[in-house]
Amino acid sequence: MRDSFSLKTIGFLAAIFALVLVLPLVIPRFYTYTLALIYVMALLAMSLNLVVGHGGLFQFHHAAFYGVGAYTFALILTKTAMPFWIAFVAGPLAAGLTGCLIGGFCVRLTTLYFGMLQIALGSLIWAIVFRWYSLTGGDDGIHGIDMPSCISSTNASYYFILVIFTLCLIILYLILKSPFGITLRAIRDNPERCETVGINVNLHKLAAIVISTLFAGIAGVLFVVVERSVFPDLLFWILSLEVFIMCLLGGWFTFSGPILGAAIIVSLRTFVGTYTEYWTLILGVILILLIFFLPEGVMGFLAQKARPHERGLTAGEK
Amino acid sequence: MKRLLLLVVCSMACAGLLLSAPAAHAARPIKVGIIDCYSGPPAVYGKDALNGFKLALKDINKKGVLGRKIQFTTRDTKFKVDIALNMAKELVMREDVDVLVGTINSGAALAVSAAVAKKEKVPLIVWISKSERITGEKGHRYVFSCGENTAMAGKAGGVALSKKPYVKYWIAGDDYEYGHAIANAAWRNLKKLKPDVKVIGKSWWKPGEPDLAPYITSILAKKPDAVIFCTGGRSMTNVMKAIKATGMAEKVPIWIHTATDHAVLKPLGPEAPEGVMGTMDYHFYYPDIPANRAFVKAFEAAYGNPPGFPAFHGYITARFIAAAFRKAGSVDKEKFINALEGLKIASPVGQIEMRKCDHQVVLPMYLGVTKKSPKYNFAISSNIITLTGDEVMPTCAEIMKARGK
Amino acid sequence: MEIIGDLTFAGLASHLLVGLSRAMILFIVTSGLSFVLGVLRVPNIAHGSLYMIGAFVAFSISHAIGGNTGFWVALLLSPVVVGLVALIAERSLFCHLYEREHLMLLLFTFALMLILGDLVKMFWGADYRSIMAPKYLRGSINIFDSPFPKYNLFLLVIGPIVAVLLWLFSNKTKMGKIARAAAVDREMVGAIGINVSWVFAFAFVLGCLLAGLGGALVSPTVSVTLGMDHDIIMEAFLIVTIGGLGNMWGALVGSLLFGITQSFGVLFWPQFAIVFPYLAVVIVLIWKPTGMLKSVW
Repeated sequence: MRDSFSLKTIGFLAAIFALVLVLPLVIPRFYTYTLALIYVMALLAMSLNLVVGHGGLFQFHHAAFYGVGAYTFALILTKTAMPFWIAFVAGPLAAGLTGCLIGGFCVRLTTLYFGMLQIALGSLIWAIVFRWYSLTGGDDGIHGIDMPSCISSTNASYYFILVIFTLCLIILYLILKSPFGITLRAIRDNPERCETVGINVNLHKLAAIVISTLFAGIAGVLFVVVERSVFPDLLFWILSLEVFIMCLLGGWFTFSGPILGAAIIVSLRTFVGTYTEYWTLILGVILILLIFFLPEGVMGFLAQKARPHERGLTAGEK
Repeated sequence: MKRLLLLVVCSMACAGLLLSAPAAHAARPIKVGIIDCYSGPPAVYGKDALNGFKLALKDINKKGVLGRKIQFTTRDTKFKVDIALNMAKELVMREDVDVLVGTINSGAALAVSAAVAKKEKVPLIVWISKSERITGEKGHRYVFSCGENTAMAGKAGGVALSKKPYVKYWIAGDDYEYGHAIANAAWRNLKKLKPDVKVIGKSWWKPGEPDLAPYITSILAKKPDAVIFCTGGRSMTNVMKAIKATGMAEKVPIWIHTATDHAVLKPLGPEAPEGVMGTMDYHFYYPDIPANRAFVKAFEAAYGNPPGFPAFHGYITARFIAAAFRKAGSVDKEKFINALEGLKIASPVGQIEMRKCDHQVVLPMYLGVTKKSPKYNFAISSNIITLTGDEVMPTCAEIMKARGK
Repeated sequence: MEIIGDLTFAGLASHLLVGLSRAMILFIVTSGLSFVLGVLRVPNIAHGSLYMIGAFVAFSISHAIGGNTGFWVALLLSPVVVGLVALIAERSLFCHLYEREHLMLLLFTFALMLILGDLVKMFWGADYRSIMAPKYLRGSINIFDSPFPKYNLFLLVIGPIVAVLLWLFSNKTKMGKIARAAAVDREMVGAIGINVSWVFAFAFVLGCLLAGLGGALVSPTVSVTLGMDHDIIMEAFLIVTIGGLGNMWGALVGSLLFGITQSFGVLFWPQFAIVFPYLAVVIVLIWKPTGMLKSVW
């Protein structure tokens, strides 16, 4: 991992940021909306990758926390008179708290057992949301949630999401660069050795889960800002699987891979879907081609092409 | 950081490709955007509705509407609300459709109604979803329904059952919005018409539950006078199979909305249970009037099988759209809505009206009993009693009360 | 809770039987999944799709032939067809990936699920399909005075037969022993000169064949439709997890637990039937973090 940004790097980042800032002014509204959606999914995938790629945990039901964030936000906005910012903070907090509870049960377990226990616990939350008609609207969900007028237009919500997304990326980057992030990767690569040198492995795992679920909650809140709806699909395991796939596809040993994975899946879904009802078939074929030709994920591949002497940002021993 | 540069280059290339896709039309046709589910179990209904719609369009476009043709484009929602929203926005923002039509998923219909139709001011016509909330408590200027809903179905069931001598009821069904909505509507109306009825128990199972024998066994053990099943779609088939396998229909009277649905009874073939009461808003063999016979004949010629209720809904949706644009005199969304309110058209089941107060189409309901037919190799609805639209519709006052709350 | 009041022995017994018959289907499907998990160490997400294909193929065959024979031929042939599909997928694509990261294999089976799901839609369309059991397996008989479907009784017979055959295979045949050894230590099996790639192929095909058999067996009791894959797959994974990953008898224990808790959950607490399976998994995994029986993972 590099310790400092070169001037050139900062230049690139600034250029990208400038680009995404001016894009809404020149592209049609639908693309602005799609980009905003990509940021939301990208944040969700990034937060998952913190525990999957960097923590080596089989976080199989990440969507449960995303949904908890979204539902908390939506419920506070529709059922209480509390101001927007309280709802905005409460969503991620509720998600983090849920993450802490579920994570507490799960960290004792390993690999698939970890994943399946999480699916079972997450599905319990899903079942509650699905059945609690008086509060959550049951399987119909809650729709047409009003946003403050300053972020209600497509462009305004885009900029709002862009700002939050950028802030989250910076924080995530700093976390991964911090001693905590380094310890996390060490645990992923060799848990036994970490245990013997006195690192509390389970505590680190739990902390990683809480951080990642907090960010999942932020993604959930942002989803409501874009779509103004919440519904039980947000907490269903199929979405979790999709987000997991985004990480794998983008390259789960890289920092920015999940962004690319999210962008690819969302664009495929949106634009192939307009041409054929068999778009999952096409998605499947594309996935298989990627598995065969880009084993490190798309970003892993790009990283190798760009700098053949060095593996990706955080490539492990795998 | 070269990776980032590569990323930028790639995404710009993609964006360039995507941006070049939509082309501007000069004198454009009327565009209808259809979002519905064409995969998974509900696909059978989505495809049927689309066929009905296409059949009507073929006829409409021979003459044209305001000198234009009606064009449609479909999007598959995969029965997911987020994809439905995504696709609806795509149709509105990118394809610039004049009317949205969809979908079987009531969650998706409500979401698109609130977050797209109302916000973007584009009319949405719901054609399969049966949630009464779409045109009931969640109704607004931009949403219409061309199908029967749970309030109508429940009222039909309540009215029908109130004429029977049963007192002790058991209510069972799929544990989701549709099941509960039907149960509530049926019970509300039954209780009003016949106050001495009582529920002795309820069972709810997860939608799509494969093995219903344990539920039925425990219901039979309690010996109710009659059972109200609240189920639909593919669970319907599972319920009918379980009823047949346990011989339930011979032991206790059963009412299920859509039990007499052709899409359910046909695949069951000779395995369908007889004597189950069901309600439907359309049968291809009933009402046996020339308009329906002509519709069925044309549909069978085009698609090789008789139309189901979604095809009927799709057909009248197209007819309503064409008639409303003709009446409006221009391709304008607001004028279209004004024209559609209170509009009456001829349909395979006679003249039908789009009610002005709640944007809900007024349809009659047919109560019948499943019976093997010598004419077909599957069971059909028999001894059909027609409940007129006025009998089964909630009144405008009730709707306004629900919306006002 | 009012139901408990007049519970009879008969009611309990018939619920137990229904739960057991459901468990048999689950066992047949999950034993295949567990076998693949054990030998290949791959969570095969496409397992549910192969189950669905099994049901659709059974539909096509039984309708092509018709009558009672049609059902039996379908029951025999559709697992074979599913096995062939699996063999093609394995030999053409999957076998090139065994050296890869395990999560990549997961990604592959996910892609396979997407593709197979749409292929089924292309071949069979979206209509609901239904298969009839042979005449003598239709209807129900009375057991302790409550009606019990004959077909479920048939499942209660088939389940143990499949279990015994699987036991014979894995303990008495050379192939079975190799597969079991490969599950424990694949390098060693390779070192003694056995072509591990073909062992994997065999295990994958056998696992999928069982999925197909499950699909064919379940088809007379439900509607055969798209979406069957999603319905079964998560349940199947939960079952193999609580049983112990890769342990075929764990699949049996897990299936029994699932079938019976579901069936009794309906009886005692019907309004929460939807959460029972998940709750069972949570309790088992908190109590035994690596499943009830010994796991190869």
